[in-house]
Amino acid sequence: MSGAQQSFKILWGMAIDLDKCTGCGACMVACQAENNLAPEKDASKKQRVMNWLKVFELSNGKPFPDHDTAYLPRPCQQCGNPACVPVCPATVTKKDEEGGIISQVYPRCFGCRYCMAACPYKARYFNWYDPEWPQGWDKTLSPDVSVRPRGVVEKCTFCHHRWMKAKDKARVAGNDPYDLPEGAYVTSCTEACPNGAIVFGDLNNPKHLVHKLAHSEYAFRLLERLGMDPQVYYLSRREWVRRLGNHHLENEKTGEFTPLGGGHHG
Amino acid sequence: MGIDRRSIVKFLIGGAVGSMFTPTPWILTDDISIWTQNWPWVPKNIKGVDAYVPTVSKLCPSATAMLVRTVSGRPVRTMGNPEHPLSGGKISPLAATEVQLLYSPSRIKRPLRKASDGGWKEISWTDALALLDEKLGFVKGSATRLAVISGDQTGTVNEVLSGFVASMGSKQFFLMPSEAQTLARAWELMGGAGMPGFETAGSDYVLALGADILESWGASTRTRRAYCEARPHGEVPAATYAYVGPSCTNTAVGADIWVAAKPGSQAAVALGLANLLIKAGATSSAPDFAAFKALAARFEPATVAQLAGVSEANLAMLAEGLQKAKAPVVIPGSEFGQGGSVAAAAAGMALNLLLGAYNQKVGLRAVPEFAPVVEKAMARKDVMANDLAAYMQGLAEDNKARPEILITYEANPVYALPGDVAGTVAKIPFKVAIAQFMDETATMADLVLPSPLGIERYDDVATPAGCGVAIYCLNTPVIDAVNPAANIHGGDVILGLAAKQNANLGFNSFKDVLAAKAKAVGANVADLTAGKAFVSEAVTGAQPSLAAEAIAKSLEAKAPEGAYALAAVNKLGFGTATTAVPPQNLKLVREFELAGTLMYVHLNKATAAKAGVAQGQKVTLKAGDGKAIPALVNISEMVMDGVVMAPCNLGHTAFDEFAKGKGANVARLFTAQVEPGTGLSFWTQTGVAIEKA
Repeated sequence: MSGAQQSFKILWGMAIDLDKCTGCGACMVACQAENNLAPEKDASKKQRVMNWLKVFELSNGKPFPDHDTAYLPRPCQQCGNPACVPVCPATVTKKDEEGGIISQVYPRCFGCRYCMAACPYKARYFNWYDPEWPQGWDKTLSPDVSVRPRGVVEKCTFCHHRWMKAKDKARVAGNDPYDLPEGAYVTSCTEACPNGAIVFGDLNNPKHLVHKLAHSEYAFRLLERLGMDPQVYYLSRREWVRRLGNHHLENEKTGEFTPLGGGHHG
Repeated sequence: MGIDRRSIVKFLIGGAVGSMFTPTPWILTDDISIWTQNWPWVPKNIKGVDAYVPTVSKLCPSATAMLVRTVSGRPVRTMGNPEHPLSGGKISPLAATEVQLLYSPSRIKRPLRKASDGGWKEISWTDALALLDEKLGFVKGSATRLAVISGDQTGTVNEVLSGFVASMGSKQFFLMPSEAQTLARAWELMGGAGMPGFETAGSDYVLALGADILESWGASTRTRRAYCEARPHGEVPAATYAYVGPSCTNTAVGADIWVAAKPGSQAAVALGLANLLIKAGATSSAPDFAAFKALAARFEPATVAQLAGVSEANLAMLAEGLQKAKAPVVIPGSEFGQGGSVAAAAAGMALNLLLGAYNQKVGLRAVPEFAPVVEKAMARKDVMANDLAAYMQGLAEDNKARPEILITYEANPVYALPGDVAGTVAKIPFKVAIAQFMDETATMADLVLPSPLGIERYDDVATPAGCGVAIYCLNTPVIDAVNPAANIHGGDVILGLAAKQNANLGFNSFKDVLAAKAKAVGANVADLTAGKAFVSEAVTGAQPSLAAEAIAKSLEAKAPEGAYALAAVNKLGFGTATTAVPPQNLKLVREFELAGTLMYVHLNKATAAKAGVAQGQKVTLKAGDGKAIPALVNISEMVMDGVVMAPCNLGHTAFDEFAKGKGANVARLFTAQVEPGTGLSFWTQTGVAIEKA
């Protein structure tokens, strides 16, 4: 599975403006409703809670009144050089489809959790429990996403089923399914965010806003130096947020801020 | 040929090599993996035809407009409605789970009567209404023996409810406390016409004075669209947002400037800003400008620093920001969306007048009210003047005549009102809860009547609190009621009872009331039914006053007792008093917000050191009269010195396994007092003691 990074004509990606995210959690709820995640009675057991998308609270570490807070929504980063793919013994998770979305084929997964150990973003979750919905609630399950039993690893798929639908719609309309206009395919979290903090699109397509944002002087990626080449970009005008995103040591000099966006894309 | 060692080794190696080339083991492994996941208790996908049906959330205070995705008629989820001004395609964390709440374990499925052993007995609608009709017959004509409380802040059902109360000879119709009431009372004192609204779209300087505008204040999904549009990705924002409040709420996080101020100190900050603005030349043609100027002059920066904890430099910075802005707007409000000071609301609105931000495209706007259609309905100003917290206090102290019948309509006063009103409610002989979920108030009721959710019924939403334009929307049923015995709207229940009591309200059904309302609004019913909103950008009214006299008198209010100030925070993701934390939303609770059944309260390092408590330590927060809640300590620098921050909407004693017993109800600690000069109760200033448990 090692070797040269696979290139794609289309590269779906996100740009999340952390200066606009207020941590309300609408994206997390929309994600659960879209992807059939079951509720959990004791959600304070964070080691056992299933979230495809999680909003983290960041602090600049300073005491009041100099303190500052930011919220960081963390979906699967859909890395260009994913750590999870080569370690999967069952080819559950692959990055070989046009669009660059990392797959997760649940029926193949036997829950070894190597991928979880490998993922530096902790974006993968093990299904500790069979999904359990209150009586009747299963009638609200979406037909687009299969329900997963316990014992498998789950993760964000960038709402891959929505891409399938968008391609079908384009085909029916006689359009090129591999040249979708901006907004024809967006994830559930992007759609929901009341602050419009999440922008989704094709990182390789100059007509898509996300392509431009990935080149923004305020763009950065999480743990950039690990070389995972994530397809999720973050934006912040705050230096401390960008430093935290790249896990700089407290006294480490970063010098002039160098735009990181677009290093590999477009 | 014998079997020797060599032949065994050859067999094993041959077998191993062979198995590499045959697909059998891989197919078996694949099959095992598939079939060990294929259990009957794991639901299967049900395919069908997609449809997207527009409606507006009646559960979420933001009144977010939604599209309900249905699959062959089966509701699957809610999404924002891109064509609607109350959404712009976006959705709140509470509205996002509205479909799933159809099947909440707490849903009330049929009428229930409290049995003598305290349990519940299912009864028919006919029996339930006959029982209620009989009881109502005993209280008709009395001014004090019937009280009705509504939790609906935007619906025409309030006209039906108040009309019914008035027809029965009473004026005891109350709305649950909210920003709408505080603003309406302040606006009345200022002599304003219509309803006060705040438009942020197009503003270049938005100052939220306590109001959590990007989370729980008013039609927040609409407000957040304006915020989003003023801040294009990766570009310098076109508007500066500033938040003044004791803790770093979600609004403070999204704002460019967070200025810490003591809980409930909005009036002092507003007057301090007014003083600086007037000194810089701001004026107003309001009749009481001179009195207001004299009042504001008492709030020099040093005084504000002492009263509100806002530094002189920060106050000057805010004043300068407002002064330099081309289209500023100041939005006053309670930090947690209820119990705010009327005087603070008036002072905040007065700032808009001083800035010339009145009845312009941006700023404070006198939004016209829609004409009432239920003839006997109480006037809106009379409803808004009814102080529920004071009424309950009066009942508790035997200063007011106890009602024989209390009807609550989608309201949960037992949980949400300040202090502990359960004992007071328990003494009311006959309590009726028209409710969707088995909340604390329904649990105490003698008769429970199930109410359909918004997506199961006809209903309406008229101009949410503080909205800068007049908006009217109609809800049509997206689906048939999932509980067939819970398909009667509370409005129809009341209309039926009114007819039986010979208190005819002029309508046979609630649907007829809505049709009349749509006509009165001047909206096209077909458009409303298709999910479009009626929007009017008109403004009304002449020059309001600055309410100088009332604000001056309000300063006589008692200062809070207790070593620390309590700052409550209201997040829509945690639900409301009537929904509790929806099951899906429980995952939004962060690591240092809840640990099992104990919730965290938040204080900064300096405050924790002063209180002698450490991270994770169990404490008891105590307010006056022996009120106390248990909690764990979280050291967080998101809170100003001397303040304890606690979340609202946890600590339910009713509902289901997802909400019950998780955390503590911070409303227990709220200490209400009637505000001098304005006459409405407020509880944004509560002092607490921190004791180690």
